[in-house]
Amino acid sequence: MSAGIHIRNLSFSYSGGKPALKNVSLDVKPGGKLGIIGPSGSGKSTLLLHLNGILNDGHGHVEIGGTKVEKKTLPEIRKMVGLVFQNPDDQLFNPTVEEDVEFGPLNFGYTREEVSLRVREALRSMNLSGFEKLTSHHLSLGERKRVALATVLAISPRVIAFDEPFSSLDPGMISQLVALINNLDATLVIVSQLLMPLIACCQDIAVLRDGEIQAAGPKEEILRDRDLLRSNGMDPGFYLDIYQEYFM
Amino acid sequence: MKHSFIDKYGNLDSFIHRLDARIKLIALFSFILIAVSEPRGILCPFIWYGMIIAFLVLASRVPVRFILGRCLVVSPFILLAAVFFPLSSMITGDFRGFEAYRYEYAVALSIALKAFSAIILLTLLVSTEKFHNLLLGLRQMKMPRLVGIISALMYRYIFILSDEALKTNMARESRTPGKLKMNKFRVYGNQSAMIFLRSLDRSRIIYNSMLSRGFTGEFPAMRDTGITAKDAAFLFFFILILLAIRLTNPGILCLNNLIRF
Repeated sequence: MSAGIHIRNLSFSYSGGKPALKNVSLDVKPGGKLGIIGPSGSGKSTLLLHLNGILNDGHGHVEIGGTKVEKKTLPEIRKMVGLVFQNPDDQLFNPTVEEDVEFGPLNFGYTREEVSLRVREALRSMNLSGFEKLTSHHLSLGERKRVALATVLAISPRVIAFDEPFSSLDPGMISQLVALINNLDATLVIVSQLLMPLIACCQDIAVLRDGEIQAAGPKEEILRDRDLLRSNGMDPGFYLDIYQEYFM
Repeated sequence: MKHSFIDKYGNLDSFIHRLDARIKLIALFSFILIAVSEPRGILCPFIWYGMIIAFLVLASRVPVRFILGRCLVVSPFILLAAVFFPLSSMITGDFRGFEAYRYEYAVALSIALKAFSAIILLTLLVSTEKFHNLLLGLRQMKMPRLVGIISALMYRYIFILSDEALKTNMARESRTPGKLKMNKFRVYGNQSAMIFLRSLDRSRIIYNSMLSRGFTGEFPAMRDTGITAKDAAFLFFFILILLAIRLTNPGILCLNNLIRF
């Protein structure tokens, strides 16, 4: 069961820094799939951290599944929103895959039987059955990314927020991850610099630059506006031009 | 990156692994207390203590080589402390020839035996229990919550530090053909500072990832932490045997008699 996201006039500054988010307003309906693109340092990751309440002292209003993100609702919010970090090594800190995947469910107070079931199911859905006793550090990047996603799936979140899930992956691994993401039963928010896999996963796209939403809407509409993409350094035509020059 | 976890044999299955963490902690403290309280220079009971330790090590299925390796790491400190005792007597008093210092030799040996026994059992304890279960056991034994959290986070952050150290080492070596020619202190100093700064940043991100999965300051354990009748029976007989050795001081196979101290 997925949950909707409602953000209104969200502004945030890191201490001593320039504003990272300025009056951001976004809506994602339950089950919706939103991609967020934008140049480096545009505030994409900061926005994701607000969805889970890691950052919750900004101005504005963030609501997940009808629950406002604030200090007193954090346990409920964190159960509802799973965050998949950019670098899987930042998410995997236990000696074995199994212990990393069970970390979330144990924190949320599930029974041991329930935790075992969730771990098994999360690993199976990521094609990682049999990896339970392996050390995360010894896995390939693609496998570590899938384990990181399994650690979140084990909580059964209603919203999953991905921070650069496709970075550093080869095309084969990207297509595998796209297939896995498309099978998820949750509201998705995906931040990525790679436009093509994002298009394959999302229905809507928002463009963020300097902490401000430049445009948001159905992906077809956004992709048609090449000036918008070019001005934000996301023009896929660059790759098309190279392809045409050498192969057509 | 290759890491060596201190509890890397914690996943093995043996009756010692299955004991509750609290039982193992109490057993260890009891052993240390009883063995340390043996009078100075008394060696005989250590044959019996040694047999108990050997039984526990073999029963745990933790490789003997691993445990001996850990002992080897601390052995210089123990041996230094042990050797210092007879030496100080020889230096501070009138030197009466090496033969005259039998009691001091016995004291030195008993110091070394006490220390090695404790180290072996301590290694066995951390090798037969997952680290977070040990912390949970200590918490259940009223260790302050803050100490538990700091220990758990420190254990995890050690790996971040070693990760960053490995990465910066690779970066340095990749641009250092052969021996380092620049000012070594400056290079290593800068590298160390960078390791700490990067580790601090990564620690912050990892802490965020823990918060995002419901971390509230406690590391919950997967294992059932209830003390069973078997656990209690083990502890009872373990302490009973130790007390029997301590109080009766059995003389069979006594090293004191064999080497006539």
